[in-house]
Amino acid sequence: MRRWLLAVAPAMLALASCSDGTTFGFPDAATEQGRRIVDVWGVFMIAAIVVAGIVYAGILWSLLRYRRRRTDPEGYGHQFHANVPIEIAYTAVPILIIIGLFLISYDADRDIRELHPDPDVVLEATAFSWGWRFEYPELGVVVVSPPATRAEPGPEIVLPLDRITRVRLTSADVIHAFWVPSFNFKMDAIPGRTNEFELTPVEEGTYRGVCAEFCGIQHAYMTFRVTSASPAEFDGWIAEQRAVGATTG
Amino acid sequence: MSVFTGVRSTGPVSWLTTTDHKRIGIMYCVTAFAFFLIGGALAGLIRTELARPDLQFMEPNTYNGVFTLHGTIMIFLFVAPFGAGLMNYLVPLQIGAPDMAFPRLNATSYWFFAFGGVLVLFSGFASQGGGASMGWYAYPPLSGPRWSPGIGVDLWIFGVGFAAISTMLTGINVLTTAFLMRAPGMTMWRLPIFTWNAIVTSLLGVVAFPPLLVAASLLLFERRLDGLVFDPLGGGDPVIYQHLFWFLGHPEVYIMALPFFGVVTEIIPVFSRKPLFGYVGFVLATMTIGAYSVGVWAHHMYTTGAVNNPFFSAMSFVIAVPTGIKFFNWIGTMWGGRIRWSHPAMLFSVGFLLNFLVGGVTGVIVASAPLDYHFNDSYFLVSHFHYTLMGGSVFAIFAAIYFWFPKMTGRLMRERLGRWAFAFLFTGFNLTFWPQFVLGMRGMPRRVPDYPSDIDLEIPNLVSSFGVVIMSIGVLIFLWDWWTARRSGTPAGPDPWDGRSLEWSTSSPPPEHNFTELPRIRSVSPTLDTKHPELVPP
Repeated sequence: MRRWLLAVAPAMLALASCSDGTTFGFPDAATEQGRRIVDVWGVFMIAAIVVAGIVYAGILWSLLRYRRRRTDPEGYGHQFHANVPIEIAYTAVPILIIIGLFLISYDADRDIRELHPDPDVVLEATAFSWGWRFEYPELGVVVVSPPATRAEPGPEIVLPLDRITRVRLTSADVIHAFWVPSFNFKMDAIPGRTNEFELTPVEEGTYRGVCAEFCGIQHAYMTFRVTSASPAEFDGWIAEQRAVGATTG
Repeated sequence: MSVFTGVRSTGPVSWLTTTDHKRIGIMYCVTAFAFFLIGGALAGLIRTELARPDLQFMEPNTYNGVFTLHGTIMIFLFVAPFGAGLMNYLVPLQIGAPDMAFPRLNATSYWFFAFGGVLVLFSGFASQGGGASMGWYAYPPLSGPRWSPGIGVDLWIFGVGFAAISTMLTGINVLTTAFLMRAPGMTMWRLPIFTWNAIVTSLLGVVAFPPLLVAASLLLFERRLDGLVFDPLGGGDPVIYQHLFWFLGHPEVYIMALPFFGVVTEIIPVFSRKPLFGYVGFVLATMTIGAYSVGVWAHHMYTTGAVNNPFFSAMSFVIAVPTGIKFFNWIGTMWGGRIRWSHPAMLFSVGFLLNFLVGGVTGVIVASAPLDYHFNDSYFLVSHFHYTLMGGSVFAIFAAIYFWFPKMTGRLMRERLGRWAFAFLFTGFNLTFWPQFVLGMRGMPRRVPDYPSDIDLEIPNLVSSFGVVIMSIGVLIFLWDWWTARRSGTPAGPDPWDGRSLEWSTSSPPPEHNFTELPRIRSVSPTLDTKHPELVPP
């Protein structure tokens, strides 16, 4: 009995360490697209815990129940080496599980990567070594970061709440990646390519953005900040940027 | 000349010129393990730097060189070559052959590997104009002439290239040996599972390494001959490099896993006193993994926006099934057996099962494109692949050493020390890498020497670094055990574990051409059959 507890306790601790609420430690997303990812995460985690639980139980049960005891007769016990129905079952069930997981994941992927024909705001993001240039081409506003250092928090951009912002992402030199952990989303910035995706913020706040693709010396400090604010505050911020001369003209 | 007198020379020159597959196998394993110690020391530097926020003692550029070398060494110079060493040593013994099919080619493979390894080491810290510090997958344009002008990257290309050629030659050699040199009675369906896995591994080596050589050569053209292959300013496309690289990269994952699936599949039946459950299914699953592993490469590229995510996602989910099947084979083998699990070889095999399962289920998680949008290039991913490679393959490497060391040297290692080594390594490993899942979820990208101090990254990083200390103690215990057992270990005899496959039918260490006589081969366990004729299936 005590052996059982010893075996089960670490697993329970591990579970407890990563579960707060329903998201199993995953950040609760601040965008509509990110929330779809949280849904997928929840399903995958439940599947992972159930499957891993069954397999761990099988391993630990075998080890404990069938350990060699001093009272065992010497030599070999019953030697079975195949059981076709069981083998078919443990092949078929995982296939069904992965079909389900694939469909859930595929469905979410389509929503997350959907590009609306008429986004509310367009943001052209250009990564460079080591900083970011953000341009709102329709509004004529540009934000460029000073060269990245540890002390420099990076440029700040504002996105309007509950509006669709289309991001057009590219790089001026090496490969970088745009990652806002609170949006649960990243995309590579590749020179010679433009990657498009949409962000629809649903929660007010200021979030940290980082470069996720290793890009050289100041990779760790290539940060930026994204604030999602009400459309009125967004308009105010745009006007402010124009006033300080952060414009394309 | 030992060949004519029958006296076996043991001096250093005889090792340098040997074509004996057993000696080459041991040289592979020892050299690879030395690289493990170097790569592990580099990992120690990484975790020391990351123990606290802010820069501790490394400049970012130094740090970049350290993790580049760490990754390159562990992947190309440790795990895969250690597997090659085991294949060299075991395949001829397990099939009842006197040596590999091409002994001189075999020696060539080893020396290519050793030479490539030396070049990689030099690429890191002895290079004019800057060492290799572009990450182990060397993406252009960062690895191109403008952003990495030093000769470090060139040395790295040559070093990895030599290691790649070595793997291809070994693959050809193992395949020829396994297909053409089996002893009478050793049909394909009686091959030990390790040899089956060696066959599929070798096929992958032959298929996957040529694209790496192409990628590395094109990179060299771009760097030194104005090739403009990947540079968009010259009309190139950096994504092409990623396709070529990961077309190697993902089969390489299985080149680093399959031999070690084979290792635990040899060990578990012996210590459970049961034959492998579902032999045929296991072999078919291994072949399926081999086939699918060349069709999943772009799951490393979901965030590039340049690949068909649903297709590669579906392929990646599929490959989880044959891997999952193996867990049921292992459980079915232990089920109803008489398991002696206190032996270090079995403990490390069980450790492999427990750790690799975490790597497996997180593998399904990152196979989902939407989840990978968050986890790609984060510490979650770092932890995922360390659970498969370190918690999986490296634990199986320790199991293999405890299991076959007596065969290689004729002496036993000490079980008590082995259990301590396992306790420290298992605890330290999980302390190091479990917190990294949390770090990844909280938004810590990989390959950074520094992180902010205000977003709950400090405690997981500190725990993770502490885990390395525990692991290091385990490695030191292991090294002490290994070093002393070589000379003063208890003599092992030919068959210390009541073994099943053919290598336990010859002396320890085996004579120059392996067998003075072969037992009759009537099943997958010929050695066991001679000891227990009552167990032979009718």
